[in-house]
Amino acid sequence: MNLNRKIDHYLDQVFKDVGKSQQLFDLKQELRVNMQERIKDYKEQGMDETVAFREAKVSIGDLNGLVEDMRVYGQQETRNRIYSSMTNRISTGFIVLGIMLILFGVMMTISMIFMDLEPVAKSGTSIFVVLGSGLLVYGILARETRKRYAMSKVRAGLYGISISVILFAVFVGVTSGLATGQLFIAFSSATIFMVIGIGLIVMLLLSRGETLRK
Amino acid sequence: MAGISTDLIRGHTNTIILNILSQGDSYGYDIYKKIIVLSDGKYELKEATLYTAFRRLLKDGEIESYWGDESQGGRRKYYRITEQGKQTYEQNKEEWENAKVILEQLIKGGIGHESE
Repeated sequence: MNLNRKIDHYLDQVFKDVGKSQQLFDLKQELRVNMQERIKDYKEQGMDETVAFREAKVSIGDLNGLVEDMRVYGQQETRNRIYSSMTNRISTGFIVLGIMLILFGVMMTISMIFMDLEPVAKSGTSIFVVLGSGLLVYGILARETRKRYAMSKVRAGLYGISISVILFAVFVGVTSGLATGQLFIAFSSATIFMVIGIGLIVMLLLSRGETLRK
Repeated sequence: MAGISTDLIRGHTNTIILNILSQGDSYGYDIYKKIIVLSDGKYELKEATLYTAFRRLLKDGEIESYWGDESQGGRRKYYRITEQGKQTYEQNKEEWENAKVILEQLIKGGIGHESE
C-alpha cells in the first residue's frame, strides 16, 4: 500500500462512523496534505517511511474533538438530504403530471375546435388544463432549490387549489356561455368560482408575513 | 529543555495563531512548524489543537480560509487574518502586557513591610 493510500485509510478509520458532509470532506483533505508534508520532512531527516508515518499519527494529537464536530455536521446533512430528496421527488412527480395534463388538455381542445362539433363540446377537454395547472403550481412551490426552501405542503396545496378554482371559473364560464350562447349566463356561472379562487389566493398572499415570522 | 505547561498556554492559542497569520497567510503544518521555531523548540502545539482553534476563529470571523493552487500533490488550505482578527490581536497583545505585570507581582511580590 503506498503512502497516500495509508494516510487515506488512516483518516477514514478516524472518521469512520461520521456521516458525510462538505466540512468532513474539506477537513480530511486538509489533514491529508499536512500529514503528507510532515512525513516528507521526517523522511528527509532520515526516518524510513513506516516510522515517519507512525510518528506523524502520534504527533497529530487527539482528534476526538474534531470527530465530534464533524459528527454534528454529518447528522444535519443526512437529515436535510433525506427530507429534501423526498419532497423534491414528490414535487418532480407533480410537475411532470401537471405538464402532461396541461399539454393533453390543450392539444385535445385544439383538435376539438377543428372538429365539426357542437360549440358546447369544444371546451370540454380543457378541464385537463384546469387540473394540470393546479398540480404544476403545487409541484413548483413545494420544491426546494439552492435559492429557496420548499413551501409547506399545505400552503403549496392551497395555492394549487386556488389556481385550479380560478381556471375552473373560466372553464365554467366558457362552457356555459358556449352551451347557451348567452354572455350573462357565462359570467354569472363563473362568478362563484372566481370569487372563491381569488379570495383564497388573497388570503394566502396576506398571511405570508405571519408564517415567516413564526 | 524547559517547556511550558498546557494549562498556562491554553488561553493564548488563538492569539499565537493570530500573531503568525498577521505576518502572512499560512496553512496548518506550516503554522505548526512556525510555533516550534518561535518558541526555540520549547513548545509544540498539537495539530489537532490547531485545527480546533482554526474552526473557532473562522466561526468568530477572526480568520478566513481558502484553498491553495499547488500543482503537485493535494491542495493546501490556507488561512488569512481578517480586519476584525487584526483588531482582536492588537487588543489581546495589550491585555497581555497588563496581565504580565500583574501576574509578575502576584507570583513573586512580597508584602514584607506591611507585616512589621
